[in-house]
Amino acid sequence: MSKQTKLRTQELRHAQVAAAAQQAKRRRFLTWAGALLIVGLVAAIGLSVYKAVNHERTLPAVTGTVVPPQHLTSTGAIPVGAADAPVTVKVYYDYMCSFCGSFEKANTGELDRLVSDGVVRVELHPLAFLDDLSSGTKYSTRTANAIAVVADAAPARAWDFHNALYAQQPAEGSEGLTDEQIGTIATDAGVPASVVDSFTDGTYRPWVASVTKDAFAAGVEHTPTVMIDGKEFTGDLYSVGPLTDAIESAAAGR
Amino acid sequence: MTATLLPPFAEADSPRLHRLRHHNVTVWVTMLLASIASLVASFVLAIDALALAKDPNADLGCNINAVISCGTVGTSWQASLLGFPNAFLGLVFEPAVITLAVASLGGVRFPRWFMFSAQVIYTIALLFAYWLFEQAMFEIGALCPWCLLVTLATTLVFFELAYVNIRDDNLYLPRRVQAALTGLIRSNLDFILVIAWLLILVLAVVLKYGNALFA
Repeated sequence: MSKQTKLRTQELRHAQVAAAAQQAKRRRFLTWAGALLIVGLVAAIGLSVYKAVNHERTLPAVTGTVVPPQHLTSTGAIPVGAADAPVTVKVYYDYMCSFCGSFEKANTGELDRLVSDGVVRVELHPLAFLDDLSSGTKYSTRTANAIAVVADAAPARAWDFHNALYAQQPAEGSEGLTDEQIGTIATDAGVPASVVDSFTDGTYRPWVASVTKDAFAAGVEHTPTVMIDGKEFTGDLYSVGPLTDAIESAAAGR
Repeated sequence: MTATLLPPFAEADSPRLHRLRHHNVTVWVTMLLASIASLVASFVLAIDALALAKDPNADLGCNINAVISCGTVGTSWQASLLGFPNAFLGLVFEPAVITLAVASLGGVRFPRWFMFSAQVIYTIALLFAYWLFEQAMFEIGALCPWCLLVTLATTLVFFELAYVNIRDDNLYLPRRVQAALTGLIRSNLDFILVIAWLLILVLAVVLKYGNALFA
């Protein structure tokens, strides 16, 4: 081998070694970047789980005297429909809860019909545990207080007001509706102006906080929780039909 | 002592974990387990679909709360996109994957066109699985544990199949792309990628449904 050829071979080998080193370096960098990404993702998951675990348990504190509205059932619910209807449907809900909104959307029409037919008495249990989801405006508490005011002073309008609130449900995480907007919805649902004006007094806020605490203590774990004659309905809450079928078979069993 | 046969992408001084990861048996066993998991999930979902067809109000074992609800997902139109429950597709196709994995473990080498076709078909299956996941997350607003298992298992099978097909150069790829992908596998970046991807899915579920899941 001539000296020149030998030199060229050596150069080539050096270049190859350098390229391989370059590539190894790049791979090491990418591996570290990938590992960092994975650590970051795990941390983000951990943080979200931690936040979620501590989230929904922030119930409103009971401050002030608990004054329940009038016309409640013996179990503290807002009744809708004939007292002697054969089937009772209890609904635990929060006006901010989007799943409650889906439940309402699917079942309001049917429940309305069953109430008018005298088959069902609906018992409303408004809860306020999603105040954190309205950017500080406490939409859950404000609306639960409003329905309590209506149940007390204009009980015949409670069902319409309840449905109208869900028809205009704000998104979770938004500021919710203003007191004025809630008032307009109530007025449109036939609630007298004098009653609407007392929404902002917050008379039933302590009661709302207290029933919310009691409901969770009594084992309600999520909203909507729907009970037919005291037994939790575990079927599909979000499509039209299943709840009606269950109610009708309960009525037939009477 | 005879020299141990090194798996592809490994050198004599490669760490044990690296060698284990690239071992042919590891690859096919992972695919086998994932496809069995998928088949079991499809089987349960198919039975659930029959129960729901009989009674849309059926009390399924995995109706846990508003978010974890097979009933809600199972009665949606998306759950039988082609006119029959999607789970039937799993019952039809997963046994083929199981056969492929078992035969390969036994040393069978399939022709290039066969493996390429398998990759194409499985890519369609993967897209379908992710469409369903997306629909459940954002349209139906409920998750079902068996469907999530299918999403996970489908991802793993796709990943292992792609691994084998890149390793064995079955995908008729341009040389540069083939070389780049081989480099990716050699440095285990594919593995990091798939782990990161699965974690992103977990994060998405937790961010969207954490409050309902861990209440």
